[in-house]
Amino acid sequence: MATEHRSSVTLGRGAAVLAFLTVQGVAFAAAYALSHPTWYAGFALLSAAVAGYLYGEGLFGVALAALGTVLLLAVGLPLALFVARQDPGLVAEAATEPAVLRSLYLGVYGPLLAALFGVGFGVPLAYLLARGVRGRAFVESLVDLPLVVPHSVAGLIVLYGFGTGGVLPQLRVLGTLWGMVLAMTFVSAPYAVNAAREAFEAVDPRLEYAARSHGASRFETFRRVTAPLAARGVLTGGVLAWARSVSEFGAVAIVAYNVHFAFPLPVVGSEQTAQHAPVMVYNTFLSQGLAKSGAVAFLLLALSAVIFLLVRWLAYGDRTTTLV
Amino acid sequence: MTLDLDVRATFAAAGATFTLDVDLHVAAGETLVVLGPSGSGKTLVLETVAGFHPHEGSVRVDGEDVTDAPPESRGLGFVFQDYALFPHLTVRENVAFGTRYHDETRDPDALLESLDVASLADRYPRTLSGGERQRVALARALAIRPRAFLLDEPLSALDVPTRQRLRADLADVLADETALYVTHNRTTARALADRVAVVRAGRVVQAGDVDDVFERPETPFVARFTGANCLPVEAVPGGVALLDEESTEGFDAARPDGSTEETTHVAIRPEYVELGGSDATGEVCRVVREDAAYRVTVSVGGERLDALVREPPSGERVGVRLPPDKLITVRELGQ
Repeated sequence: MATEHRSSVTLGRGAAVLAFLTVQGVAFAAAYALSHPTWYAGFALLSAAVAGYLYGEGLFGVALAALGTVLLLAVGLPLALFVARQDPGLVAEAATEPAVLRSLYLGVYGPLLAALFGVGFGVPLAYLLARGVRGRAFVESLVDLPLVVPHSVAGLIVLYGFGTGGVLPQLRVLGTLWGMVLAMTFVSAPYAVNAAREAFEAVDPRLEYAARSHGASRFETFRRVTAPLAARGVLTGGVLAWARSVSEFGAVAIVAYNVHFAFPLPVVGSEQTAQHAPVMVYNTFLSQGLAKSGAVAFLLLALSAVIFLLVRWLAYGDRTTTLV
Repeated sequence: MTLDLDVRATFAAAGATFTLDVDLHVAAGETLVVLGPSGSGKTLVLETVAGFHPHEGSVRVDGEDVTDAPPESRGLGFVFQDYALFPHLTVRENVAFGTRYHDETRDPDALLESLDVASLADRYPRTLSGGERQRVALARALAIRPRAFLLDEPLSALDVPTRQRLRADLADVLADETALYVTHNRTTARALADRVAVVRAGRVVQAGDVDDVFERPETPFVARFTGANCLPVEAVPGGVALLDEESTEGFDAARPDGSTEETTHVAIRPEYVELGGSDATGEVCRVVREDAAYRVTVSVGGERLDALVREPPSGERVGVRLPPDKLITVRELGQ
């Protein structure tokens, strides 16, 4: 009896969720069209409470669903309104502006370099940490430190460390692509290292023992067993670091507000100056107001959404091939 | 190929330390079973011999000192309790894994054929049953023609029919191989071992030919762990007399100065206990069927005793006879 009941609920769940979301979408569109988005908030709370009740969870379920929905609304409603209130004309105009295109390109390319940097040097560190080295707690703290450093402070730290009088006197960091990448690496490396470390920790040491006892050296064991099994986690870490860098504002604004870099497309010349996309949004907001900066932000948001979906797919998608 | 080990190592985990101090010799072509309860350090013995843990003392394979050699250079084949098959490789790739690192190897496909798993060659480990996985793990170790085998409870995770079938196959495979085999299962030990070493808390407490250890345990621990009944000598009819006539002298000599009372026991294997006899009468506590036999637990004078018999007792009380020639005295020195 119990299993029958359960399976009948499971069978209908996909359709129920789809219907629920459709109703929410229609309700939001109606409320927005009537210029009363507040009505939608009320509707969402009410429908969540009803859904909680219908799923047989009783008053406790109603309370959980309603309270959870408050947070979902706080995050989701501004996002939905942001998208709905964009002027398509302004967005199209921004999408063809060379300065915006350069900025978006820089906003993807720079973070990619930072992610490669973080993964390339973070993977060996992550493997050492996963297999337990002396002073592991200290090293892990150092790796995690950038997570709690305010980002403007991180920018200053990068300038002190690598700017004039820093460790690389020949390298110009202020206002350069290098500076931007260093700032991004500082704030995003923890994501690359931690994801890789967790992936390595998930590889059973007995598999490495098995490889060793069957004749593989430490490097061969890493190459043929550990690395393939941890590959997905390492990749996830890289994409997380990339996404974190794309969204970085504070540190980049201090180190490389305007960035001189080589733009690959010949349309606007190769040596160019642009701003990292979040910096550009801020700059446009100050100089040209909410509507114009909103259009640029919309493009950046669309780009971030693609990256976000990629992360979700990598981290939670089909994992039958590698992790068992 | 022989295997000589004399290893001492200390392991620290979760705030506690565990000391291993084991000295064993495995003759060429012999299977030595290390028998011990959970937590006795059996697996650590294997892992240390394989080179996974730093240790003092020495490990010699066929006379060659491999104490300082990394695991990949020791020429030992390790079969793991949980199989440790590489999940991202097919069965064939798993078996062939080590062949590129060795000059003399066996053909992976022929091995899979001989172990009855040739049809699985292109599948991945997660799609196999426990018994199939263990056959693949065995093939993987065989493929590199190891100088000696190290086997860590390879049968413990299997269901009984699979275990029995694989145990027979394993006996064939290991017939001419030098092997160190670790288990907590005395049936497996008796089936596969040429010699047995019983370990407790990181030390060998008794080693010898398999029949010797099972028939002549030296301490109550070994007696109980090998499945024998172990009773205080006073509880056994004729036990004290047995002690007197057999070993009084050796006893006094062996008693260390200042030690407290020496407890002495008599051991007898359940298959030698006769029910319906006249030595004493006991109460039947439990009857459990074991294949063609019955394990009958009888309470005699406050002591519990197992008998392995063909016919279950009919009443609630039953006569018990302990054949004197099957009684073994075991001694435990007090601390």
